Amino acid sequence: MSTALPSVPVRPTAWQRVQRAWVRAVTAWPALRSILPFVPLLGAWWLTAAFEVFPKAFFPGPVDVARTFVDLVYKGILPEYLADSVGRLAAGAAVGIALAIPLGVLIGTSRRAHTALWPVLLFFQAVGDIAWLPILLVWFGFGLTTMTFVIVYTVLFPVVLNTVLGIRSVPTDLVRAARSLGASPARVVWEVLLPGALPNIMTGLRNGLGYGWRALIAAEIIVGTSGIGFLMFDARRAGSVVEIMLGMVVLGVLWYAVDAWILAPIERATGQRWGMVTRDR
Amino acid sequence: MTTSGPRGGLAGRARAAAAFVLPLAALVVLWAVAVRTFDVDPRVFPGVGAVVKAGAEAIADGTLIQHIAASLGRVAFGTAIALLLGIPLGVAMGVSPAVASFFSPLLRFFSVLAGIAWIPIATLWFGYGFGAITFVIFNAVFFVVAYNTLLGVSSIPMPVRNAAASLGAGRFAMLTEVLLPGALPNIVTGVRTGLGFAWRGLIAAEMIATNVGLGYMLFAARDFYKTEVIVLGMVVIGLLWLALDRLLLAPLERLTSERWGMVRA
Repeated sequence: MSTALPSVPVRPTAWQRVQRAWVRAVTAWPALRSILPFVPLLGAWWLTAAFEVFPKAFFPGPVDVARTFVDLVYKGILPEYLADSVGRLAAGAAVGIALAIPLGVLIGTSRRAHTALWPVLLFFQAVGDIAWLPILLVWFGFGLTTMTFVIVYTVLFPVVLNTVLGIRSVPTDLVRAARSLGASPARVVWEVLLPGALPNIMTGLRNGLGYGWRALIAAEIIVGTSGIGFLMFDARRAGSVVEIMLGMVVLGVLWYAVDAWILAPIERATGQRWGMVTRDR
Repeated sequence: MTTSGPRGGLAGRARAAAAFVLPLAALVVLWAVAVRTFDVDPRVFPGVGAVVKAGAEAIADGTLIQHIAASLGRVAFGTAIALLLGIPLGVAMGVSPAVASFFSPLLRFFSVLAGIAWIPIATLWFGYGFGAITFVIFNAVFFVVAYNTLLGVSSIPMPVRNAAASLGAGRFAMLTEVLLPGALPNIVTGVRTGLGFAWRGLIAAEMIATNVGLGYMLFAARDFYKTEVIVLGMVVIGLLWLALDRLLLAPLERLTSERWGMVRA
């Protein structure tokens, strides 16, 4: 290891200088941090495709993908499919959350409900959304109901489980204090338990949406009438790798943006994972 | 709120197991009663007896074991490769803060894309079968583990590393005694999350791209409206994941994070 005495200035190596330059650059323009790393990746992708390391039909370059993007946007297919996918996810997630939080509060506050329902919840979470697809297809056929059911199911469990964990992690002292200060049970739920559980609820929501979004892709591939998952699998049938890659890039960028700029900051704002909102503020 | 009573000892453990199994048993009874009283068409939902019979048949003729072995084999193989590559790569990227800040958006991008979204292109690149499915599992685990390892290594406080260095730790000792142990809680969390995605990806991929495995078993049964086989498959999938997650991954995660005092129980 380089252990230099302060009096002997050591000339930094080229590699160290590159690292320092990078740190300086991202401190000056934080946006670079999330954009610049993709430039060499794009370059490598472009070079691999340009020199046809793999057959072009199996590995198109970024230029082809960009051209397809413009083409599909122009035709209106991509915006419509994207809207379909996002709409399904939003609707499913809204229903899932609306069911999950009350259920979580019930299981978190009543020991009897916890004893009776907790193992059942764990089991149904373990069965997993996608394993429900075949029987849902038998029940509802290939359609919107099947897809909505899958997303509601996927979002429900992580949110319920985390709400329960959050509520049970609220110190009993706080509940007693609120009660002895004259708070009604409803007020205890609203002003002590829910705020205390909020960080966990947000974590659950973030996990649930992460899983829900994957389940949506799977459902669209299998059920398939529209949406990004359908676009990709339809392209697979036609052997069009360009459109598959476009689908992946769109999904990746979209989800990256949602996760990094909306969900993660909300989760951070509601208190770090082990932090207690009620205690700190 | 309060947690359940004191635990520990064999009796306590047996009681905990019973508390876990009883509600599920009650659910099975409820299911049996509901199917009988409402006279549900077996093509809509099977009775308990039919599922048990389907299970016994599938075990007797060896197909259930075959499907389970195929699914678990794929998961084990894909995960093993992902760990062998993901952990070293994550450590290498996490050692220098500058390098870590460069690579973490990339890893993050690919880990949000991990798993199911790769199914269409994996089936084109590798054809239907073992290759495509293992690839989906591999990349579901690989990126999440590499990203979490990077996070773990870069979250080790610099003073700890400097202290080890000034006490004369070489590169190898630094790796095995500071970096890997420090990152271990994150690595295990990454493995658990990654496997969660991989398991779902596996079921989805098996529905689409193979002719053996639990996902295939479910999807093939759908064609003949054999709801008892579908429900059997769902129960098996649920129990397998429950066993994997609760008996292996969760204790491992608890062990590693408690050991280094990251979590207050």
